[in-house]
Formats: sequence, structure tokens, C-alpha cells
Amino acid sequence: MIVVVLLVFGMLQLTPGDPVQAMVGQYPVPAEFREAIERHYHLNDPFLSRLWQYFANLAHGDLGFSFQMQRPVLDLILERAPRTLILAASGFLLGIPIGMAVGVLSATSQNRHVDRFWTTTTLVAYAVPGFWLGQLLVIFFAMQLGWFPTQGMAPLVSRASGIGWLLERARYLVLPAVTYAIYEATRVARLMRANVIETLGQGYIVTARAKGLSRAAVIRRHVLRNSSLPVVTIMGYAFGVAMGGAVLIETVFSWPGVGLLLIEAIRARDNQVVVGVVLFVSFAVILMNLMVDLLYCALDPRIRTGT
Amino acid sequence: MFSHHVSRHPSSLTIGRRAFPGRAFARSLAVVSLLLGGGWMSARSAETPKPGGSVVIAMDPAGLSILNTELTSLSPALYIADIWADGLMARDGAGKRVPHVATSWTVSDDGKTYTFNLRKGLKWSDGQPFSSADVVFTLTQFAKYNTYLSKIVPLITKVEAPDDATVVIALSQPLAAALDLFDKENFPLMPKHIYEGTDIPTNPANRKPVGLGPFMFESWEQGRSLSFVRNPYYWDQPKPYLDKVLVALIPNAQQLLNALIQGEVDWVQLDFSQIQRAQEAAKNGKIKVIKIEINAPERSSLDFNMRRQPMSDVKVRQALFLATDRNRINADAYRGLAFPATSAIPEQFKELNDPSVNYDKLYPFDPQKAAALLDEAGYKMQDGKRFSVELTYIATSPFDAIAKSLAAQWKEVGVDVRLAGLDSQIWLDKVYRKNDFDISLISLTGRSDPTLGVDRSFICNDAHVPYTNPTGYCNRELDRIAAEAGASPTPQRRALYKQYEEIVARDLNEITLTNAPTYNAVATKFKNLDAQFDIAFNEHPNWAEAWLPEDAR
Repeated sequence: MIVVVLLVFGMLQLTPGDPVQAMVGQYPVPAEFREAIERHYHLNDPFLSRLWQYFANLAHGDLGFSFQMQRPVLDLILERAPRTLILAASGFLLGIPIGMAVGVLSATSQNRHVDRFWTTTTLVAYAVPGFWLGQLLVIFFAMQLGWFPTQGMAPLVSRASGIGWLLERARYLVLPAVTYAIYEATRVARLMRANVIETLGQGYIVTARAKGLSRAAVIRRHVLRNSSLPVVTIMGYAFGVAMGGAVLIETVFSWPGVGLLLIEAIRARDNQVVVGVVLFVSFAVILMNLMVDLLYCALDPRIRTGT
Repeated sequence: MFSHHVSRHPSSLTIGRRAFPGRAFARSLAVVSLLLGGGWMSARSAETPKPGGSVVIAMDPAGLSILNTELTSLSPALYIADIWADGLMARDGAGKRVPHVATSWTVSDDGKTYTFNLRKGLKWSDGQPFSSADVVFTLTQFAKYNTYLSKIVPLITKVEAPDDATVVIALSQPLAAALDLFDKENFPLMPKHIYEGTDIPTNPANRKPVGLGPFMFESWEQGRSLSFVRNPYYWDQPKPYLDKVLVALIPNAQQLLNALIQGEVDWVQLDFSQIQRAQEAAKNGKIKVIKIEINAPERSSLDFNMRRQPMSDVKVRQALFLATDRNRINADAYRGLAFPATSAIPEQFKELNDPSVNYDKLYPFDPQKAAALLDEAGYKMQDGKRFSVELTYIATSPFDAIAKSLAAQWKEVGVDVRLAGLDSQIWLDKVYRKNDFDISLISLTGRSDPTLGVDRSFICNDAHVPYTNPTGYCNRELDRIAAEAGASPTPQRRALYKQYEEIVARDLNEITLTNAPTYNAVATKFKNLDAQFDIAFNEHPNWAEAWLPEDAR
């Protein structure tokens, strides 16, 4: 984490930008205003002094203060993180089972039409940039059919309550979550297909079949579990990263999560927020890796028993 | 009511007779507006506004951190300020100056003393009483932080409030654009009881403002929306008619238009790449696209870095102007909706712009003449190329399209253009702070007077002030003319600005490409959402006037 802070702080120091000018807009900044803002937010303090102060604050759990939003950075992240969590979790919960099913179907039909169809489909879907896919979904499902809103997380004016309130918000979640899910499903499907093909060639699979287990039972009991281990690793890491917000998807759908917070901070040169978000993502990745290790124990008895 | 009141007031007539340029500009615009807009006035009077309902406007927040437009000039803050803030005066849809917090004003014969008579019994949106002390406080305490007032602050010698409803401001010399600077866009009034004794630039009220506008601040959900509710103390009762104005913060131009077409929001400002699509969508009758007929000039321009070869050679700059087909730029980047600018002084300033200086005649598109001039300057064609330049700009619409169009055109005369579309902050640093550029493309608003929005492109800028002449060009004679024109009545100004235009047309540190109008798109279910605009800075709806028929709620 220390290295992350050093790296991000260093990179931001080298990046051109003037937070006070970003505040004032396309006109010269009056000297008195610049002086007041720089003094209050310590924007003009020496680099090492700011870095030292940041670490001192960090030791007390303080991620700094956003001069743009005039709130503690931690508050901002904690406000946005649940929104990103809802989006990422929906995308993963939808995408992973579909991806696994497609991967298994493709692998067990290797070199047949079904396999070729899914391999080509997942390759094409994987190659499509997420923001473009999102825009296509908006054009078709929101603009043409009018089934879903084009952007946002909830209506600004609403009289709904109870289940109606929940359904109203769910409509806003569908398109960004599906965009997310398609991307994750293609990734999982390709990974799963390769793993299943490899597992199917293992000796214990031949033995299981020789013992009279049905093909479905072999796949369910032996192939799925063994083939899922690499997927768990990759998805755990991906989920950690996703907590930093799918920047492009959040931008396309104006979903006010951590990714959009990062974009707002970069545009305003609000560097403490940028560092805070990067730290938060690092923490999420470490946490998810730890959870993946624990999940490994549950999935793989060899790790649990130390053999 | 207001026009009657003002016309009765002898001092107002005095302003007209003295032909101070802000008034002259407004008058010329008013004539055009009456010709163009007389129809809606009669249509409006047939309907009676009904209170209630809310409107959702949408904009890209783009760095929005404070709402107080005494301290920021960011576009979203300016639009939002029209909802909650007010000032001494404003412009109506016809470009005519109308009283707001001031009921009338007088200017002394020497043009140095301004007296404002204020409405009595006004209250701030928090219920506290307003008085002339608030105006004095705003001018004495905020002006030093206000980027627009930099022209007038050094000239102010006295600000006093002889009574609760009068403010007198004395200047050391006349300033033609002074009244424009006291417009609500440039000089929104701030409450003394909130700011006195505090550190003004960091006061929390800059994000939770208290004002005199039609609505009052309710909440700001960062990254999502702002909410304003009806101000019960608004001076122009029974306005405002709407209960609420919500501002949706959408950071993507495409999404802004999508949201309007689908009825999720009710008002957006369009960029040129979207106008055609918006016009198509408007065929369903639910939205309409509005061209702002009376607008502050918005002109795309090229700044040449005259510290560098070959831009330091005036023949090269002239040749590049001759090699530029501005009608093609208009077609490529503005869909034919802009027009080629004719001189340094924008066409909107009809009483100041001298049509005898005309770029269309001085520098008509003529690639052959451009090639000959480049030959003469010593830049002969070799292997299909004369020289390379970097064209730097903010990578967004319409600059991307203008830059590509220019690169294609200049290639025809052997000038190789490297395009450098950058993030706005990186571009700012490169062009204005480091002066590390060849040619920079920008679009600047001319505002309501050359002193306020045009001089910055041509005057000397030894201090590397951002958004001010980055070219290294410094002509003290031009600076003198600009200063003299800024302090003179209109007839003298016109003669001075002719000299100004001639010098710029000769030296060409900056060439002005196009002058573009502004387009908004609004939901048709609202009344008066498109009818009122303030042009002192730009074109904003008058939220106090808008209303929503009951059957549309």
C-alpha cells in the first residue's frame, strides 16, 4: 500500500494540471482567490511535505479531504462503494453462471457446431469494448424499445414506495448490469472451456467413467469443481478491481459509483480523491485475494488437508 | 412594467443618449428580437401561468466544485446560478437591460458615477432582510475574487450606501462596459450576514448558497443531482411558478441528449454534433430545438506561437489564413450552422464592428495565393511538403472536427499538420503556462463587449495569464487603442475599433475562424422554458418565468 501511495502521488505530481484553474473555469484566476484556496487546502506545499502529511493522516485512517467536494475522501468512497458493489455484484452474479454454463457446454461439445458457435460468439463479445456495448444496449433497449432508462441510478422525481420503489430502481440497474455481465460471461466462458477440456483429459475422469458414473454426474462431481479453481482466482481478482468501478460502464450509464467519482476527481485535479480511490481498489484486490484463498480451501480438499 | 418604469426614468434615457456601448448593443439586439420574436409575446399573453410542477434540467458537471459565481466562471455553475442567484439587473429575451434587484439606475454625465436604486423590503432565501449594505459588501469583499470584475476593480474609488435602498459607485475613469459588469451574470449579490468575517473562498455557503433568485438551494448529491425549491421570498411574486428545479449531473454529451429524447430530463444545451439528431427526435413533438438568435459571440480561433519559426513570419500566418476554407470548417464542424467571422470585433457588436475590415475580402480562400506567399516566405515545396506544425486543442467537439478539417486543407498547400488533441488541463499547461505549442485552437466567448471578451486575445500578456493571448504578440499601440476604446462613448469607440481591427488583420497573431450560435433543446410540455434569455454572458432560461400546465404534470 505504501508503494501504491508513493507511485500515485509521484505520477500525479508529474501530471500537468491546476486544480484552482479547474475550479474557476475558462477565465484567469484572480491572485487573491488562488492564494486563499492554495493556502487553505495546502495545494502549494512542497511535494515531500504533502506526502508526509498524507502518510501521517493515513496512519489515522484518514484518506484526506476533497477540495472539490469539500468532504473527507473516505466519506465519498464509502458513499459511492455500495453503488459500485450493487452494479459489480449484479454483473458477476449474472455473468459467472452464464459464462460457466457456456464454457462447459462448449468444452463438452468440442469441435462441433455448438462449440464453434459459442467460441465465436464469446470471442466477438469479448472483443467489443464495454462502453460501446453499453451504448448499443442503450440505443436498442432504452431508445428504440423504451424498456429501460438511458442513464442514472434512480429517477430524480419519484412517487414510488415499497416494492414499486425497488422495481423502479431495478429498471435502472438492468442495462449497466447486463453490460457488465456480458463482458464477465465471455471471460469466464473462454477460461472455463479451456479448463474443462484439460480436466476431461485427466486420468481420474476416465476412471470415473469406467466406474459407471454417468457423463452428467462426472461433469457435476469432478469436472466442474476442478475446472472452477482458476476461474475463482481470476474472478476474485476481477471483483476486487471492479470495486474501483467499471469506469467506462459507469460513465456510459452515468452510474454514480466509485468509477465516476474517479473521473470527476481527475477532471477537477482533485488528487487526494484519486489517491484515495486507487488505495481503495488496492485494498479491495488484497481482500478479494484473501477471500479467494479461503474459497480455495473449500473447493479443493488438498489445500484444506495440506496434502 | 419594467420597460415602462425604465423609460420613464430620465437617467435611463441619459444612458441611451450618451450611447454607451452596452446600451447600444442591447438596443440593436432588441430591434432584431422584436422582428424575430414578436409572435411568441402575443402567444404567451393568451395563457395564464399555473403554479406547481417541477423541471429537470441536465448538464455535464465538468469540474463543478462551488456554485458561487462570484468565484467561478464554470459553465454549469453559471447555468445553476440563474436558478438561485440574482443581481442588480439582467437582460430579457430581447437583449434589453431590465431591472431586477435595482429598480433603476443613473450614470453621471462624466460616466464615472453609478447610482443604483434598490427594491425595498427584499429578503434573502433564508428569510434575512436584504439592504444596500449587501451590495456594498459584495462589491468590496467579493470583487477581488471575481474574474469578470478584473477590469473594473482597479477603477473603483468609492462604494457607499447613503441609505438602505441606494448604492453609489464611483470610478476613477469611465468604463464603457461598466453596466454589463453589474449584470446578475457577472455580479450576483451575496449575503453579508453569511459571509462577513469568514474566509470567503472557502465558506461552506459557496456550495450551499443563499441568494435572491427564484429558487433556493435544497441539496446537492455529489455526482448525481442538485435540487432547488421555490424561494418564498422571491421579489417578483407570484413567480416562480414551478415548485422545484432539479439539475441532473450527466457527464456524457450523448447521454444528455438520450435522456432528453426519452423524457427523463426537460432541458439540455446541445453541442453541434448533436443538433441534427435532436432535430430528428423533435419530430415526435415532445421536444423542440431552439436556436438562440441573440447570443454572446462564440468564436473558434487559431493562436499562432509567434516565438517559433515559421509562425513568427507574418507571411506564413497570412498564407495559412488564405489556405483556410472557413465555409468548409463551418460545414465539417458546425453542420453549416455557424458563419465565418469577418474581423476581430464580433458581428454581434453591430455599433462597434466596422464592416470595411472584412476577412472574407482580405483573406479569401485562395490556396494558390497561399502557396505563392509561402514560396515568398522561403518555405518552398520539397517532396510534397513545406514544413510541419503541431495543432493543439482540447479533444472534444467541435475542436476535433475543426482540427481535422484544417489539417486536410493545409496539406493541399504542403503544410503537414500533426494533431494534438489533449485533456483540457494538459492543453492549458502547454499553451498558456509553458507556451510549448505551434498553433492552438480554441473557442472563446466575446461576451457582451470587446473589453470583456475580445481584448484578451490580442493584448500583451507578459504574465502568461491563462485564456489570454498566448501567442507572444505584444503591440503597445494596440493595447493603448483597446484601453481608450474601453473608456469612450460609442461613436469614438467605433473609430478606435476600426484601427483595432486593421492592426489585428495585419498582424494576425490570432485568426478567427467562425462565429457560432447556441442551441438548446427543451421539452415542449413546459411554457416559457425557451422564451427568456440573459445574454450578458450567455443564454440561460429565466427559471422564474417557466411553468408547467396541469395536464402535463
